[in-house]
Amino acid sequence: MLRIEAINKAFGGLQAITQLSLQVSEGEIVSVIGPNGAGKTTLFNLITGVYRPDSGEILFEGKRISGLKPNQIVDLGVARTFQNLRLFNNLSVLQNVLIAQHHRLRTTWFSSVLRTPGYMRQEREMHEVALEKLSFFGPRLMSFRLEQPVEVLSYANRRRTEMARAMATGARLLLLDEPSAGMNPRETTEITDIIRRMRDDGGYTIMLVEHKMSLVKDISDRVVVLDYGQKLAEGSYADVVNEPAVIEAYLGKRAQEQGAQLADEAVDL
Amino acid sequence: MVGTPKFGPRGVMLRRLLNVAAVIALVVLLFFVQSSGSVKLGQVFALFAIWGIATVSLNLINGVTGILSLGHHGFMLIGGYVTGLLMLPESARDNLAFSARNSLSDFAIGLSVERWMNALGLEFLATPETLGVRFVVALILGGLLAAVFGLIVGFPSLRLRGDYLAVVTFAFGEVIRLLASTPIMASYTNGALGFAGVPSGFGKSVWWTFGALAITVFVLARLKKGSYGRALQGVREDEVAAEAMGVNIAYHKLLAFVISAFFAGVAGGLWVSWVGTARLDLFLFTLTFYFLVAISVGGTGSITGALIGTVLVVWVRQYGDPLEQAYPLSTWLVAGGVVLVVAALLGWLYRRGRRMQPAAHPIVVGAGVVGGLAALLALLGVFDAQLSSTWQGFGMRAIALSVLLVVIMIFKPAGIMGRREFEWTWLLRDRAEVPTDEERGQDAWLNKGQVEGPVPATEAGEE
Amino acid sequence: MRRSVPYLIGAGVLVLIAWRMLYLYSVNEAFNGAFFVGAAVRSLQLGSLYALIALGYTMVYGIIRLINFAHGEVFMVGAFVAFFLFSGTPYAWPVALVLAAVIAYGFLHFLGFFRVLGRPIVLGAALLAFATVAVALASVRFGWLGAMVGSMFVTGVLGMMIDRVAYKPLRGAPRNSMLITAIAVSFFLQNFGILAFTNRQTPFRPPSFFTGGLRFEIAGQTVFSTWMVVLVPAVTLLLVAVLTTLVTRTRLGRAMRATSQDAETARMMGVDVDKVIASTFLLGSMLAAAAAVMWGMSFGSINQPAIFGILPGIKAFAAAVIGGIGSLPGAVIGGVLLGFLENFLTALFPRVGSFTGITEYKDTFAFLAMILILLLRPSGIVGEDLSEKV
Repeated sequence: MLRIEAINKAFGGLQAITQLSLQVSEGEIVSVIGPNGAGKTTLFNLITGVYRPDSGEILFEGKRISGLKPNQIVDLGVARTFQNLRLFNNLSVLQNVLIAQHHRLRTTWFSSVLRTPGYMRQEREMHEVALEKLSFFGPRLMSFRLEQPVEVLSYANRRRTEMARAMATGARLLLLDEPSAGMNPRETTEITDIIRRMRDDGGYTIMLVEHKMSLVKDISDRVVVLDYGQKLAEGSYADVVNEPAVIEAYLGKRAQEQGAQLADEAVDL
Repeated sequence: MVGTPKFGPRGVMLRRLLNVAAVIALVVLLFFVQSSGSVKLGQVFALFAIWGIATVSLNLINGVTGILSLGHHGFMLIGGYVTGLLMLPESARDNLAFSARNSLSDFAIGLSVERWMNALGLEFLATPETLGVRFVVALILGGLLAAVFGLIVGFPSLRLRGDYLAVVTFAFGEVIRLLASTPIMASYTNGALGFAGVPSGFGKSVWWTFGALAITVFVLARLKKGSYGRALQGVREDEVAAEAMGVNIAYHKLLAFVISAFFAGVAGGLWVSWVGTARLDLFLFTLTFYFLVAISVGGTGSITGALIGTVLVVWVRQYGDPLEQAYPLSTWLVAGGVVLVVAALLGWLYRRGRRMQPAAHPIVVGAGVVGGLAALLALLGVFDAQLSSTWQGFGMRAIALSVLLVVIMIFKPAGIMGRREFEWTWLLRDRAEVPTDEERGQDAWLNKGQVEGPVPATEAGEE
Repeated sequence: MRRSVPYLIGAGVLVLIAWRMLYLYSVNEAFNGAFFVGAAVRSLQLGSLYALIALGYTMVYGIIRLINFAHGEVFMVGAFVAFFLFSGTPYAWPVALVLAAVIAYGFLHFLGFFRVLGRPIVLGAALLAFATVAVALASVRFGWLGAMVGSMFVTGVLGMMIDRVAYKPLRGAPRNSMLITAIAVSFFLQNFGILAFTNRQTPFRPPSFFTGGLRFEIAGQTVFSTWMVVLVPAVTLLLVAVLTTLVTRTRLGRAMRATSQDAETARMMGVDVDKVIASTFLLGSMLAAAAAVMWGMSFGSINQPAIFGILPGIKAFAAAVIGGIGSLPGAVIGGVLLGFLENFLTALFPRVGSFTGITEYKDTFAFLAMILILLLRPSGIVGEDLSEKV
């Protein structure tokens, strides 16, 4: 579904991503992990068009998306959430999710003024889709919260809104940047469950960046480890955490010599 | 209705009824204004409508899309000059053509809706009775040309950050006025002299102006409420996020500029008609400043707020004359002193209310003492000998408005309305934002229980 | 290769200019060396004035990222204060005392730059200044220099007052709020000027040697001008040198540079950020006042308050943007460049034959240049990129 071929990205003298190749197939949940500054968020920014790779190609369903603008990439079916939450703070939860569907609207601005039947039908559909996506998160967002400005929501609820917003774009590939950041353990289990259901019931393919190993362990079909912009390891969670290079990257050389286990130590990295 | 599931099923009917009632009430009010016999009152209402159009359209860029644009008077100038030239009566055209000081080109002299109608064989549209039809044509053409300039000015907005863009739009407003008096453009604008004798029956009629205002508010309110308006607000809230959610930033910014400039052009046409002449000094930055004050006072992003703000600005402009007359210096001293004392009192109350330390800030105390002393001494007649000469209060209205704007920006940047719009629900106390007891219970329960499966989509949201 | 591109462009422009000058000379002998030298010195004169005003914009922008819309009006007030200083002195004692207090207050803040001076010395110097200035205001008629220095301090205090009353409560507010406030202040000052000073154009002719005629020979042809073409660049050079010294050599200057890098961190490192900002406004407004006085002397009159500040102000802002906003050398380079763009370019396209010249359009050059720079190279000629990170 997504194929990344030998991309490079440098900021000034800093090589953020080096010769990275990666594949994500339909229906997979792929986790990207790595120490701080490993280039995980840069990778997401490259895929979604915020940055343009210096060299290499990114293909989505066979179409080249590197070099396109972010909104064009959304049109093709890739959407994301942000590490530091970028919601439309003064707008309501419902409006936030509706804006994500605006790019699929097939009428002019003037028919939205005249409220032509065609526009009204699409508007109703947008509402249905919005409620459907929000209902993934249960009544947490579905009650009176719908009309509340995002500003007043809790941090966890904002994360949920952002995920619903990304789903509502109509994307088939979702990039989730630390979906469980700022959530307590119970909420984390809940979000783990939701991400799995997003794949199983919603049919989304999911790529996520995460620091909480418990979540990664629970849901990943495949784990990709990045360090200094390079792919360090790739495979199932169990394979990857036992890889010596990964333990070294996370915990340093001495820890590796002492035979430390990443799964035990790095739960809250 | 879509987007506001606030009424029950019968609510839509109720709201429509209320809307109709409000329109009827407005028409009755205008009828009374018209028949009251006061020329000034009618003109004030017409001016409110004209400036209301400009303010509401500026609000689309500044408030809804969140781009600070300061070139609105430039768009108005374009619309105003186009309307003025196209509507100029034949007699005035002859004067322009023969006068040596005027430099209108032959081509420009020929730009007349009346002549076009004759040329098209539509003589019945060239009669004095159908002046109104021609005026509408001229207004729309003026709006369209302004919209073209909106597109041009909008382009830098795709590359520039907010404050730079503000300067570029400001420069546009200035440049367009400078250019209008240069030799090339003077053959269309008649230089600094402009056109006198534009029919003034429309700009001063409450029916025409309020009709235009109603159309503007209708279009912009529905635009704001619809999907495009949501996207524009998304651009305002967070450009990066909006783009990441598929909103085409460039298209939407330009859209806001073009629509806004169109209505500004229409407002400019009506404004020229209100004054009766098209002159360059009608389109100073002062205009945009007034609209900015109106938006900021009313609430940035709110159409209702923009209209409330316009009431204030027009009131100050039309009824503020007493401020600008000549009074003895001692009177000014008393007035200034009282203003300072009141300001100090308010400041003290504000600081106390906010529990700021110290509540009696040196600046507050200083202002109070100086103002009090000045007022007291002037009242006692200490300086009467030195202060007997009079002083004309030129510019006092503008000073009052600019002080008001600073105060609003510091103490209540959201303005009166914030970003909200007027809803009938306010009067009916049916506020959907307030959770019911049941919902509160549900929420509390959620925080200890675990998640359930998807909720059927029909449960909430529909009317 | 890439590095030589600017030089190549510069050389190309110079060649074009030389070619154009030769062409004009071949058309009409009136466009001789003296004509162009005259245009060049006038360009330098105007450009220096722009540079002085632009410094105020660039300093304030560098420190608090605010386009100080009111700066043009501060410039206007500077001119009128000087006007009243040289045409109204000697004053009655009460007026002289109040004005001297304001000047001494500005001087006190100015002395704050020099940490080497102890507190008693600073206070003593300010008191001495107060006494001297008060006596002078009440007894002597001021010349242009006295009016300029006095106006610089009065205007500097005005700049600090604007910051204290209007901008300081808005630190950390959205940029648009700050910008709207700045616009409101600018509008306030325009109308306050009408209320307090005058509402018509005012002759500005302090008794001075420099407003007198100056003639010199270039290759056998005479250039007519006034001594202002010498005075303005010289004073500008002096003021820029003083400013550079203050910013690079003094403690407060260092604090200024730290604040412009990162105000929050500077505050945590013990820098009194509010004082730094006040000093920035003081310096910027002083430079604007100096420019205003020389502006009035150069052109013999100052426009009415409602419009006097607008064009010089916005053009100087354009100059700051062209040079690279936030950079002191950038403001100077941009200002001088703009002076040449306005005056010399007009001289290169004079009224010849049926071509009517481009004098009427010269007010728009600044804006066009600014928009081009913003679109092509937003950081300006020498500036660094101050754009926000995603």
